[in-house]
Amino acid sequence: MVAMRVPSCSGFGIWWQMANGFFAVAGAIAIKDLAVEWRTKTALVSSLVFAILVLAILYFARDATAVSAFEVAPGVLWVTFTFAGMLGLNRAFLLERENHALDGLRLTSATPHAIFLGKMIGNAVFVGLVQLVSLPLFILFYNVPIWNRLPVLVLVMAMATLAFVSVGTLLSAMVVRTRFSEVMLPVLLLPFLVPPIVSAVQVTWRILADRPMAEMTGWLSLLGAFDVIFFILSIMLFEAIITE
Amino acid sequence: MMPPDVGVVATDVAWRVGYRWILKNISLTVAAGTVTLLVGGNGSGKTSLLRVLAGLARPAKGSVSCQGGVGFVAHHSMLYDSLTGRENLAFITRLDGGHAPARVDALLKQMGLERAADQRMGTYSRGMTQRLAIARALLSDPGVLLLDEPLTGLDEAAAQIVVEVIKQRRQDGHAIIVASHQLVELMECATDIGFLVSGKLAAWEPVNGRDAGAVMQRLRDLVADG
Repeated sequence: MVAMRVPSCSGFGIWWQMANGFFAVAGAIAIKDLAVEWRTKTALVSSLVFAILVLAILYFARDATAVSAFEVAPGVLWVTFTFAGMLGLNRAFLLERENHALDGLRLTSATPHAIFLGKMIGNAVFVGLVQLVSLPLFILFYNVPIWNRLPVLVLVMAMATLAFVSVGTLLSAMVVRTRFSEVMLPVLLLPFLVPPIVSAVQVTWRILADRPMAEMTGWLSLLGAFDVIFFILSIMLFEAIITE
Repeated sequence: MMPPDVGVVATDVAWRVGYRWILKNISLTVAAGTVTLLVGGNGSGKTSLLRVLAGLARPAKGSVSCQGGVGFVAHHSMLYDSLTGRENLAFITRLDGGHAPARVDALLKQMGLERAADQRMGTYSRGMTQRLAIARALLSDPGVLLLDEPLTGLDEAAAQIVVEVIKQRRQDGHAIIVASHQLVELMECATDIGFLVSGKLAAWEPVNGRDAGAVMQRLRDLVADG
């Protein structure tokens, strides 16, 4: 165990302690969410099964003599990630609805911002796990040559995931008190996801086509802009969402 | 700044759901070292008042101040079935910025849960879950303890543990408000009684040696008076 020494009296020390506490709370919430999911495995199993099914069905639905795998692969990849990830987003706040646990979180000294960040990190790890399993299957099914461009693909996956989980965490908190939260979440979330997913598909297409990096920077910048906007708006609005 | 001998001050608190007013201009002061029983019929606003005092519901009007933090035991445990009793309490201490395994162990022991501490809460009986919820509320050693039907589902031994906790908190100078229909068990530790009728605080009186039957008769009179 490494203990970091921090000056306790200086302004920097106070800021450090506050930031440390903030991230410790967010980390505790994320770890709790992942521990609960690991024990129940409800969302993880259903998301992985869904992802594998989508990849397989769309592969066999294609007429290989008329449409090349390369043409449909970017769309297939992001449809898979988006819908499989959505199953996990639903779970994030359903867990807090059980036994009214969200009230328990609000009664602690955890700030709404830290709660949001913790839930968001938990969702991001969940979506990351689904992607980690889906990506090799995608490469296997569609036989796409991405090994030399894998870091760029991982970058765009991380950026799109950030946008996805930012707005997804906010909206799942919003719909969890409604009677049909499982239906409401996709209805509300998908319109917000169109711009970042279109950007991700465009970049993925260029990665698969081995196009120069310069062709992707515009789309990556757009994706980055959505990441920043979605994250800031979501973390700001979260307090109003969870307050009665 | 509240005086040190005051636990809770609510001033002209009103709260509504949609257009329906659930709480109507409630003002109260609860002294430290007292136990107040909140009494009222179903739908009189007991749970809503406790939620407003706990800070879980924002009043449409008025203000609430609590000295030394609030612990709240609601109808639901506000904990996670998939975590063990110990993990649930450890998680809450981390959110409160600490890591106090000794405090967690002491509370589990006080609530008679030390043997079930490493079982998942989902396997607990209703009474065990309720005691764990009370342990959660006591984790931060709050100055004010709010209990909503704390004896529901508890057997005699478990109810006695909860009553002893209430007495101990009162002796330690904390303010306690209990909303309950089970007055017989709670009368021995109560000092004051608040009567809620249709969202209004109809009366706030000392116990003065009354038993549960006399309290219920007083409530019926207040309801009849409107």
